[in-house]
Amino acid sequence: MRLSPFFRRIVIILFLAFMIIPVLATLVFSVSIRWDRSILPEGLTLEWWWKVIERNAFRLTLKNSIVVSLATALCLSVLVTPSAYWAHTRLPRSKSIFELIAAFSFGIPGVVLALSLIRFYSNVPIPLINTPNILVAACMVLCFPFMYRPVMNSLESINVRDLKEAAESLGAGWWATLVEIILPNIMPGVLSGCLLVFSTVFAEFTLTNLLVGSRFKTFPLYLVEFTRFDGRQASALAVISFVIAWVSSLLIIWIAGKSGKQVQSVVGGH
Amino acid sequence: MVRLQRSLIGKSKRYGSWLAWIGLLPLFLFAFSFQMIPIITLLRSSLITKQGISFEYYQRAFSHVIIESFINSIKLSGITALLGVILGSIVALAIISSPRKFIRDWLTALSNVTTNFGGAPLAFAFIITLGSTGVITLILKAVGVNLYPEFRIYSISGLAIAYLYFQLPLMILLIAPSLLGLKQEWWEAAINLGANSFQFWLHIGLPILAPALLGSFLLLFANSFGAYATAWTLTGPDVNLVTVQIASLIRGEVQLEPELADALAIISLCIMSLCVGGYIWVSSKARSRYT
Repeated sequence: MRLSPFFRRIVIILFLAFMIIPVLATLVFSVSIRWDRSILPEGLTLEWWWKVIERNAFRLTLKNSIVVSLATALCLSVLVTPSAYWAHTRLPRSKSIFELIAAFSFGIPGVVLALSLIRFYSNVPIPLINTPNILVAACMVLCFPFMYRPVMNSLESINVRDLKEAAESLGAGWWATLVEIILPNIMPGVLSGCLLVFSTVFAEFTLTNLLVGSRFKTFPLYLVEFTRFDGRQASALAVISFVIAWVSSLLIIWIAGKSGKQVQSVVGGH
Repeated sequence: MVRLQRSLIGKSKRYGSWLAWIGLLPLFLFAFSFQMIPIITLLRSSLITKQGISFEYYQRAFSHVIIESFINSIKLSGITALLGVILGSIVALAIISSPRKFIRDWLTALSNVTTNFGGAPLAFAFIITLGSTGVITLILKAVGVNLYPEFRIYSISGLAIAYLYFQLPLMILLIAPSLLGLKQEWWEAAINLGANSFQFWLHIGLPILAPALLGSFLLLFANSFGAYATAWTLTGPDVNLVTVQIASLIRGEVQLEPELADALAIISLCIMSLCVGGYIWVSSKARSRYT
């Protein structure tokens, strides 16, 4: 079953090269004066970074992305955590419904989700279409499994029944038990879920492009716009995206390490 | 007294389990308003024509361009899923058989981070690396290998390379637990009985891993079939994929035919359900076999 050490090293080096070179190249490209004629960059500069950061559109799109990402993470944790706790304590049977919703979330391609929301909500008198609200709702569908899995795993790993009975015998109600006793115990799961949702929504392009487009421009939309006319500034924007994805992922791994658990892997939208 | 108490508890439990569904009302409301009803709307409008229920829009979907987009999407997903399964398994095997713990931990962490990458930044990173004036392109040129014009990152094969960037780590994460489940004793027993490593994999390793490999293939296929952002950033409208077709119908770039988009969406939803359903079925089978 073991691979020969030589073969194993070659495989790992090739894998690392494939995963790291594109990110590293983007970083170096963003601080190069020019890097499209020679093997090495023709000198280094921070000019593109300054140009990018100076723009108002940069700040606006960054703000929009952070707002949508935070709103989605917040709404989803408020929806999922009490529901998951309720299901876990009162209705274990209903967990298969959660699984179904999660499978559905993964199974709907972004373009189909966007189309279905547009087709339905443009024909009902609810003022949702073309607003950031519909984007948050769509991102909640997209990210449902990212919140549900870590929260449910945390719930299943602690002794909910004893905690609940202890709290209730001391007179705590359902809500107080959840907020004051259960929530602190499943915090690692909720936090991991929030971080995963945040980084996914921050990089979200498909739903944003089709649901709100230029009416509410987010960071990835801004990035794609730049790739069409200025590669060096676009590369600075791409580096910012990579850093945000890396930082939130490393935080998730750190939280999982602290609570002594394996990181749950879930599938993201591309 | 005790009996009375028990029966009361029993009753309240039964009553509670009926009432308990109300506690999940917010979740149902969410799922119905943003998943079920919109999808049912799509299905309805794709089937209902002026003449009543018919498959007219589906028939119209079988135009040359649309058929080509389905072939491209299926080809791209099939190739990246297959390469992902094969290469990902080899890398996963190399990772788990590494003697140093920090290498195992860090490579798993790397897979965790990169499987959620994708979309615009990833596509752009590949333009910088393998584009016509990309870093690797220039280096290869200097040693006498000309990638262009035979290869183009803005083509379907370039897209396949970019997709592998998130397919590979996903495969590693999916298959590593199954690989760890292969017991060292089986290997030793096989070797002691005179098998070589090829025979071990053919007769023992692969049959045991088969359900996991099949399940992962389906999940990787779905993962790439539904992708849009990477393709759009890298190739724009140049590569004809199903998701690109649907998106351009939504934006009204082609003539306005919403029902055609609905039909395309329903067909791709069927393909996705087959993959995800197949994955769930295969993995539940695998679980019941070993536990």
